[in-house]
Amino acid sequence: VTALAVSTVTVGDTVTPLSRRVTQEQIQAYADAAGDHNPIHIDANFARSVGLPGTIAHGMLELGILAEAISTWAGGSANLRSLSCRFSKPLQAGATIICTGTVVAVDASEGIATLDVGASSDRGDRVLTNGRATVRLSR
Amino acid sequence: MPDQSHVGRRYSAPGQRIAPDAAARVAAAIAGPDPVAEPGAVPPTFAAVYCLAPTFAQLFNDPEVGIDLAGLIHGDQSFEWPEPVQVGDVVDAATEIVGVDVKRGMTFVRLAMEAVRPADRAVVCRGTALMIMRATA
Repeated sequence: VTALAVSTVTVGDTVTPLSRRVTQEQIQAYADAAGDHNPIHIDANFARSVGLPGTIAHGMLELGILAEAISTWAGGSANLRSLSCRFSKPLQAGATIICTGTVVAVDASEGIATLDVGASSDRGDRVLTNGRATVRLSR
Repeated sequence: MPDQSHVGRRYSAPGQRIAPDAAARVAAAIAGPDPVAEPGAVPPTFAAVYCLAPTFAQLFNDPEVGIDLAGLIHGDQSFEWPEPVQVGDVVDAATEIVGVDVKRGMTFVRLAMEAVRPADRAVVCRGTALMIMRATA
């Protein structure tokens, strides 16, 4: 795993946006893999009964895709030091998530870059907001 | 319904093994239609499996706290990974209720979690989560 060099990272740098259509099949696969079978993710009738338009992706699945986008930019997931966000709007099954990130600070002495990160959907919703990540850089 | 008296409750799940097949299944599920980004690596958010799932399950089944899963929303999540976790590691996970607030008819439960690798006492993950329970009739 090769971290980005401090000298190559500057404020304003952006993560290559990652777009991924999240199908019901993928949500089901995540439910099985993570052991989270909350019916809002896998039962459309139940989801509608609690006021959702249909089944929605797990927030942790969305966060996993965001983590992938940042990790790819950072030279590997071992360089991802922290990640946080608010799950502001649900991502409906079949929608495409678009993950983004922008460097907002570089601490050369600590070898850490801080990024504003987030995700929107192709339906126009900002699904992950107030996102912040830190990544390890090499010196 | 959770209330202030539940702050400080702690749910421990020692001996969580980072199984390669389980990590690979989560990695494949995150990748969906695309190739897995880092085959063989543990996705950072695999913390959902080794830290959140085994401790949250205890919380959700705590009859004295009385969380209603049907109205539950995951409001926010933060993770810090001071030391990357590796396939084959065994970690001790714990989650604690650190805050309960009721606003606008909704109950906000703030949780803090930590996973420690006892072999070297390294904290491999710590974080916080906000669970929101909507009012039910």
